[in-house]
Amino acid sequence: MANIPPTGPGPGPGAPGPGGPPKPMARQKPASMALYKRMLRKEIRRKAGEPEINFLNITAMLDMMTIILVFLLKSLSSSSASLPQSADLTMPKSVLTTEASQEGVAILISRSQIVVDDNTVCTVPTDATHGVEAKFKRSGPTDLYIVPLANALQGWRERDRQLRLATGKDPSASEAIVIADAGTPYRLLVEVLFTLGQSEFAKFHLMVLQSSKK
Amino acid sequence: MADEKLSAAQRSKIRRLSQPRELAPDEEGGELNIVPFLDIVTNVLMFVLATVSVTFTATIDTFPPRAGSGARAPTTPTLGLTVLVVPDGFSLKARGGNVAPGCNDTGPGIAIPNRNNDYDYDALKACATKLKGAAVEFKDEMGVTISGNPSIPYQVIIGTMDAVRKNEAGEDLFPEVSFGIAR
Repeated sequence: MANIPPTGPGPGPGAPGPGGPPKPMARQKPASMALYKRMLRKEIRRKAGEPEINFLNITAMLDMMTIILVFLLKSLSSSSASLPQSADLTMPKSVLTTEASQEGVAILISRSQIVVDDNTVCTVPTDATHGVEAKFKRSGPTDLYIVPLANALQGWRERDRQLRLATGKDPSASEAIVIADAGTPYRLLVEVLFTLGQSEFAKFHLMVLQSSKK
Repeated sequence: MADEKLSAAQRSKIRRLSQPRELAPDEEGGELNIVPFLDIVTNVLMFVLATVSVTFTATIDTFPPRAGSGARAPTTPTLGLTVLVVPDGFSLKARGGNVAPGCNDTGPGIAIPNRNNDYDYDALKACATKLKGAAVEFKDEMGVTISGNPSIPYQVIIGTMDAVRKNEAGEDLFPEVSFGIAR
């Protein structure tokens, strides 16, 4: 650090000479080195203490947005809202506004197939007003019992029964969430519900989209 | 000493020396700069919010049809309402017999015929409200059986359940639905 030592007494450049005319401004006498250093330290401290704001700090806001993004992705992935809404499966609309139940095995009835727990169990014919094809029935086209569906439900039912025994719930029956296309014929719906009932499923949650009007 | 003052040169020197030292780029900050990453996250967030259509779902709880248990017949009169959905409208049946068109009496015919080639859910709700209020014993009866022709779409079944669930005032009519099997 460069110091300016206080100059000694004596006439400076601006001091009036003994014989000449006096200069308009007299040079000020410098302060002592101690005062100079004290003032320098004080000034450095003052300026160093000032907060430096060069740009708007949006990091905190972006942190918050990251949390919202993670929350949204997590909730959307686990909720039924992530169900595939396509031409093959369009859920019906209802004025019901209650909370959707998430308990039970999910059974999807689309226009082309019946899916249990992400496994396709049987196909649905184009004209399903008589239900699924007779080859999937237990005893002919008039039967309501869909054999592949019942077979797929059997394993799930057994696992759920063990789980209910372990958690102290009623093990006598399980629950199912039925997600069906809005155009599913009543006959096909009844066949699925009948097979569910025969497979010891005693409560059905019919999933619908909430809508203010039909 | 108290009246000692800094000279102009000393004040100028103090001003110059007390300026905060500019940091070299390699000396700046010890933190990881995550702002570019967060910019990307913000863009992804906007994209997700713009593309995902948030849909709210609900579930209607139903039970399989119960077979006759051989229990004694109820001592109080029951309505035993059954709504049969046919392509031409709603046919209603109760213990007293088939509900006649207009929902005023018993008799043959479709109780709630279609209006403008569509199912008349409002009339069905009004008829269910009238039937429920026909006797005080029906006040606590919550069950209804819904059945339909094999070709009736699922959306119509759901609409029928909505119509008979509550009346216009929001009071429960027949919220407990069982499905009938047409043979």
